[in-house]
Amino acid sequence: MAEKPKVVTIGIATASYQREAPTTVLRLTEKLLQKGTHVNIWTFEEAVTLTNKDQKDHQEPPGLHEVAGKQHTYVGKFVDGIMKAALHSGALKWVVCILCVQERGVDAHQMNGVIIGTFADFWKFANASDQLIIIPTYR
Amino acid sequence: MAKYLIVASRDLMEYKESDFALSLASQLKKSGNDATLYLIENGVLSARRGSEPSSRLTALSKEGVKVFAEDLSLKLRGVKERAEGVAESNMDALADLILTGVDKVIWY
Repeated sequence: MAEKPKVVTIGIATASYQREAPTTVLRLTEKLLQKGTHVNIWTFEEAVTLTNKDQKDHQEPPGLHEVAGKQHTYVGKFVDGIMKAALHSGALKWVVCILCVQERGVDAHQMNGVIIGTFADFWKFANASDQLIIIPTYR
Repeated sequence: MAKYLIVASRDLMEYKESDFALSLASQLKKSGNDATLYLIENGVLSARRGSEPSSRLTALSKEGVKVFAEDLSLKLRGVKERAEGVAESNMDALADLILTGVDKVIWY
């Protein structure tokens, strides 16, 4: 019988442009998925805006084109990519806190595949995980 | 004996609470546990050889705490020379630690 996959839950409250944490979470999630792990991401507070589907690449100022290129992308694009990559395996669940998305007006703007959930989902994740990692936000 | 992984993502010089993270690693080791301090993001700034907090990292490693600094974080910040006792690691190794190497992860 195949060994049961390990489950890791990561909680994060940090959005793009605040800290490097969302990028680190994506890099770690990619590695965990590659190793056959099931990953649950629980986002709350500002982190629920990571999966706002209305984000866009924007143009860099012309004076920066030579050093930074013409387009500046956003972290959410990579969240969307990793969710699509894991879509059919069911190995990645990305949950946003319902109160947090409503407060920020992004409840109707979440990317495909995102689950709008409650703390009950977080509790279930925490109980069913081999590892629980909470990444604190800080100023 | 339990195995603890403390991931330090903040600049240890900027945040006073960093003392707590380093002390926690030390105390866990002294209490007979296995303790790993993993520096990532701005946490690696303290790994620069000659920086003020780097001596504390060296001291921790001499106490038996395993101290790592993530390679991409080092590269992005131009940290080429690491303090004695701080080993270079990578995201793949961090994922392995989380999956099979430790009982509890504390992210700071």
